[in-house]
Amino acid sequence: MSCEWVAKRIPLYCYGELPAEEEERLEEHLDGCAACGREMERQRKLAAALDRRSVETPPMLLEECRADLMAAIEGGASLGVRRPAAQGSWALFLEAVMAAFAGVNRFRRPVGAVALVALGFFAARFTGSNPGGSVVAPSEGVFAAVRSVRADDPNRVEIALDETRRKVVTGRMDDPNIQRLLLAATHQDNPAVRVESVDLLKGRAGVGEVRDALLDALAHDSNAGVRQKALEGLKPLSGDPTVRRILEQALTMDDNPAVRIEAVDLLMAQRDDSMVGVLQGMVQTENNDYVRLKVEKALKDMNASIGTF
Amino acid sequence: MAQDAVGAVGARANPQIDSLIRAAQNGDHGAFEQLVRAYDQSVLGLAMNLLRSPEDARDVYQEAFLRVYRNLHAFRFDCGFHTWLYRIVTNICLDQLRKRKVRKEEPAVVETAEGPLDRMDSFEEEAARANPERSMWNQQLRKRIEGALGDLTPRERMVFELRHYQGLRLRNIGEMLGTTEEAAKNCLFRATRKMRSELGDFL
Repeated sequence: MSCEWVAKRIPLYCYGELPAEEEERLEEHLDGCAACGREMERQRKLAAALDRRSVETPPMLLEECRADLMAAIEGGASLGVRRPAAQGSWALFLEAVMAAFAGVNRFRRPVGAVALVALGFFAARFTGSNPGGSVVAPSEGVFAAVRSVRADDPNRVEIALDETRRKVVTGRMDDPNIQRLLLAATHQDNPAVRVESVDLLKGRAGVGEVRDALLDALAHDSNAGVRQKALEGLKPLSGDPTVRRILEQALTMDDNPAVRIEAVDLLMAQRDDSMVGVLQGMVQTENNDYVRLKVEKALKDMNASIGTF
Repeated sequence: MAQDAVGAVGARANPQIDSLIRAAQNGDHGAFEQLVRAYDQSVLGLAMNLLRSPEDARDVYQEAFLRVYRNLHAFRFDCGFHTWLYRIVTNICLDQLRKRKVRKEEPAVVETAEGPLDRMDSFEEEAARANPERSMWNQQLRKRIEGALGDLTPRERMVFELRHYQGLRLRNIGEMLGTTEEAAKNCLFRATRKMRSELGDFL
């Protein structure tokens, strides 16, 4: 056994990852070889130096994360109330819409904020004792969400509510403002709106923001129809490493067989030997016969074995 | 080397976890919350140690568990839940690491309101009082370690993190990263070799 053989195995030995037989051979060698003994010592010093580098999680961070997560799931966390816009320009309207969406990708803001798509958003405060005062009750076409109710005294009540107003905008697909609205609409609660928006956007996957939205839809959208539309849009980009990674994720994790089939097709549009391990794993775990056959065929096309040994 | 608390629940059969998953799949929010609490500390610890930024770790936590929430119905018990969860977590972390690579960002120095969280900082503070020369040496070593870790590819960094700091087995790591145990071994070997060559004169 050579020192080179030992050197290659020292890290694995230190992590307890060598088969018992190799471990024994290595220990025998170490007993009689000072140079390999020094190698082992250096590996241990490296491990010790790296141990000191580990960080502790700030104590409050875990609790904050838990609270954020539950708020996001329930969609119940409060959203920062925006003031009525004094100017009615596209810019202000879009600003309000986009602000409502700014956190969606990062999942910071509550999912409830999604309900604000393409609606102007205003906050109001009503006080029961001054009906003729400066405040106005919600009118027709305005959707109100009551945020809090407080009784100041027996004859007076204060209600804080958010109002949303519907607004119709029209424009061409190449209008950047329309595109931004469509991007925002890919996060709407209503799956029909999401399918429609992703369908309209899919021809523009060359634009970075659109590509990201399609990837996001493929990775996260709960509706299989939306995910399939996103896949269609990503077709021309199937060579892009980021796109391939999300496709791989869809292939192994998506619960919809049609999505998995489309993902195999796109991934296999070009030869990629790094996929062999993933595909072999899928042969073992895939429960849909058709998808499994597709995967097996892809492996055969690459001259790779179907099973793992 | 840290031993991960979830190592125990990483095993395939865990009836308690399985029943939580089934209940959560049937819409039981309380069960989902319990499931999150069984794993979230180690997920956050992994993200913190890897990304060294509370903000980024928080993002990883949120995104990972929201993906779990959305996709739990598709979990088919054909692998351990721990493996399934870590597939999601490692994918998100790899994304972050790749973005940093593209932006050529240095690893973050962890500072919080309570002061630095890096264990090496407190170690250095003590050492500085006792032996200033040694402290200087430690500071240089630390810089070199950060540089060496930063030079690893995201995948090497991830395998190293999971093995060295999280104490997971390479077989399990391979499963999480959608690759073989052999590939994970090679990755770990390359990572340690790179680090040892970078830190040569310090070891």
